[in-house]
Amino acid sequence: MNATSPTSPASESISTAEIDASCRVPLFTFFVSGAVWLVIASIFGLMASIKFHSPDFLSDCAALTYGRVHAVATNALLYGFALQAGFGVALWIIARMGRTRVSLPWMIAMGGKLWNLGMTVGVIGILMGDSSGFEHLEIPRYGAVFLFLGYLLIGFFSLVTLHDRKDRELRPAQWFLLAALFWFPWIYFTADYLLLSHTPVRGVVQPIIAWWFSANLNLVWVGLVGLAIVFFFIEELMKRTLYSRHLALLTFWTIILFASWSGVPHTAPVPAWIPALSTVGTVLTFVTVLTVMVNIRRTCSGCSQTDKPISGKFIAFATMAFVVSWLMNAISGIPEVASVTNLTWYPVAQWQLNVFGFFAFALFGAIYYIVPRVTGIEWPRAGFLKVHFWLAAFGIVLIVLPLAIGGIIQGFNWHNVKMSNVDVAKSALNFLRISTVGEALILVGNLMLLTNLIGLSVRYYKTHFVPAYREATAELKPAGVKP
Amino acid sequence: MNSATNQPVADNGRDAVKDPTVPIWLIVVLFLLVFWGAVYFDEHGGWFEPQVYSPYVSAEQLKDFQVAGGPDIMLQGQKIYEKTCITCHGPAALGQPGQFPPLAGSDWVNEKEPGRMIRLVLQGFSGPGLKVNGQPFNTSAAMVPWNSLSDDDLAAVISYVRGNKDWKNTAPAVTPEQVHAIRAKIAAVHPLSFSPTELEAINPAD
Amino acid sequence: MKYGPYVFLAAFFALALSWCGFVVTPQVQLGRAVQETNSVEKAELYPQERSGQARQGLEVYRANGCAYCHSQQVGQQGTLVNVVLKDAGKKTMDVAKVLNDEKLGTFSGPSVAAGLPKTLLQNVSMEQAVALQSLLKNAGATTELHLVPFGPDIERGWGKRRTVADDFITDATVMPGTQRVGPDLANVGMRLPDVKWQLMHLYAPGAVVKDSPMPRYQFLFEKRKIGARPSADALALPKEFAPGDGYEVVPKPEARALVEYLLSLRADTPLYEAPLTPPPAPKTNAPAK
Repeated sequence: MNATSPTSPASESISTAEIDASCRVPLFTFFVSGAVWLVIASIFGLMASIKFHSPDFLSDCAALTYGRVHAVATNALLYGFALQAGFGVALWIIARMGRTRVSLPWMIAMGGKLWNLGMTVGVIGILMGDSSGFEHLEIPRYGAVFLFLGYLLIGFFSLVTLHDRKDRELRPAQWFLLAALFWFPWIYFTADYLLLSHTPVRGVVQPIIAWWFSANLNLVWVGLVGLAIVFFFIEELMKRTLYSRHLALLTFWTIILFASWSGVPHTAPVPAWIPALSTVGTVLTFVTVLTVMVNIRRTCSGCSQTDKPISGKFIAFATMAFVVSWLMNAISGIPEVASVTNLTWYPVAQWQLNVFGFFAFALFGAIYYIVPRVTGIEWPRAGFLKVHFWLAAFGIVLIVLPLAIGGIIQGFNWHNVKMSNVDVAKSALNFLRISTVGEALILVGNLMLLTNLIGLSVRYYKTHFVPAYREATAELKPAGVKP
Repeated sequence: MNSATNQPVADNGRDAVKDPTVPIWLIVVLFLLVFWGAVYFDEHGGWFEPQVYSPYVSAEQLKDFQVAGGPDIMLQGQKIYEKTCITCHGPAALGQPGQFPPLAGSDWVNEKEPGRMIRLVLQGFSGPGLKVNGQPFNTSAAMVPWNSLSDDDLAAVISYVRGNKDWKNTAPAVTPEQVHAIRAKIAAVHPLSFSPTELEAINPAD
Repeated sequence: MKYGPYVFLAAFFALALSWCGFVVTPQVQLGRAVQETNSVEKAELYPQERSGQARQGLEVYRANGCAYCHSQQVGQQGTLVNVVLKDAGKKTMDVAKVLNDEKLGTFSGPSVAAGLPKTLLQNVSMEQAVALQSLLKNAGATTELHLVPFGPDIERGWGKRRTVADDFITDATVMPGTQRVGPDLANVGMRLPDVKWQLMHLYAPGAVVKDSPMPRYQFLFEKRKIGARPSADALALPKEFAPGDGYEVVPKPEARALVEYLLSLRADTPLYEAPLTPPPAPKTNAPAK
């Protein structure tokens, strides 16, 4: 589809197919590697989940002790899949919305390779005992350096792509992505330099910065990019524009102003003003949820058909998960609630719902839509898509609901002084067993995604490279020599 | 061109946008929550005081709860003296003739107003012309400045020396606030260590 | 809106605000804290530097992710006050009248002065305590106020007061913990100071805490053949956890370091920001527990 650009009559319009083709190289790196890390994260997540209720499972090997397995599971999911695939989808959306080709795609792919190098080195480091000790920042210094360098390439050239847009108008999804592109390097560099370098800050400032980083990554960055994906795909799949730019603007401001202050738990060993500010920031993200709910509900009112059913399902589920998970977070910011839910399974459940239920689902919907268009090849096992959706949906519900309820019960039990430590832990056991089933379902679903991606890559290779190779290496027929 | 939202020419199939205003109740909720946030921070934030931890809500309230009378000043001062001052001034505060002046029964120590003594300890002391109890005390040694100790520690050790009955010192104790005030005064004025004539010129009540 | 720079400025402003608030300001306020001689009864530096072995234990704690199941942050819901009568003074009749008016019991002049020190009021708010204290002061009696922090963590015995920033100054990596699957460890050195218990708990948690959800850390120990004599360090394990005949379990340096670190964990010294009236010192010569 060709678009007219009223602001620059001299520019030629680039076809969507060309835009998609320019994304091919970086997206291959991001999506295929991301899917591999996703499966690794699910395997380690399943191991960790089993260890909750069978603590002696695989506990005799130092590298597989719960503390290390848990760290690998969260980091592989966050950095290996969520951030990486997020970069890929963000890049594609930036290119599509700006109606421009990706700038220097090989450099971005190189950034992706550096990112994966950092991940590999970092994960092995965690298993060997070099975890940094800070949640969501466990990848040690030597891995973090590569992650950051890789991001510099990815972020810079994504920004250049955005800058080169033919369509100069910036729509809500683009604001969100621009802010996110800039957000990540600042928070990551701050956290790494102040916590993981040779001269870290001292004392309780360490966990304060770690909590600040974690909230900014899991709420602000994930929220911005996830909502950008949701907004873009709602417009794309339903062929209608977002209901209100002003509501989107309010969403933008409430995320960057309020969610950037959450993260410090209520009982933290820090002066009272820090958790107080965090409480206010967390509770105020309630407004973000309201703006998104109103905007999307009014955009979607009166529509039932979508173009690609499966991507639409993923995006719809992601939106609902966003609402529930951010509501869970906002409610747990209220001090009376926090005194029960803090330091229990409840924040774990909220994190899972946010990163997997919301962000990963948005990414799945995007990936299933984007890859066939970018490569020109349909998914080899089309039936897997629907199965993946249902497995993932059931899986995440089976994880989040029991953990949230179990966490609340655990919190009340810690307040009940007569209950011994072991009894409090035992009160959550059955919930943990159910969540293991959820993890298993999610692992199977993720394996399906990986199978599909690898199958598609193989088909792509066969369709594009093999004939070209054969042609290039065919035996030369001797031309007749003229006497 | 859809002017309401400044979109480029809509691609085929996109529906027109209806009225895109923000619902007023949402703005009301936002302001209510911001108001709640402000009140909450005012009540529970301790107004950025680094010493206020929940459940305490203000520096004043925290002060009310300091009922133990603080640390035993004399004990704390004794520990600091035994770690720090004893090497030169000796275990019985008699000093070393020709080297370090005595503190026991010294007029420098027993002045009612502590200004001179606090300055001496904070900034150190060097130079000829020292007189103790009216007698000249010749020494070439200098006293090291002790401004690295905290106000609480300095107040404790100075109070200990001034009030030590075994050493026949009967001067009143010194508070950390007094040390702090003098530290601020001399920081602006006198970076080098004092000499005896300068010290004698200072009004001890300052 | 056409201009990317506006979006960038908005994001920059918001991030700078939160960066100033949660990165710069805490560093300025708390990042250069030094140990102070503010321990109330001992007049020592607080916190004490941990021994070298304990510092290595902190690294073992970090590497194995103990903070994912154990917190090190004791909370405090509030502080109540006890009013203790130390000296009835000379006007015991007036003092008795005050106490009777306040409905604290029926006292007469002689009974007021008997059995001192005597707790008059327990677990009241600071306002009530100060009111009684001033009434009694006017009557010539001397009273002391004793602080009683309370809260679910304190009632569970996890600490005598809440943990504060000063408790962590000397640690290389500060890990207040992300979850409480197991108990809080801020004062575990005070609560469970037995080295052998700690080692056995690491090797086989189920041996010392029935149905414990904690995984075993046998890789911190060495199972080896008994030599000429059993090693003095060998763990005395119950039958179902014991290694086979002829074998003994001996802690590796990592296990020892970790236990040394755990035993060094105590945060019950009264501080200005977390005031507390410590219990009186025992009158016997027995070593402190």
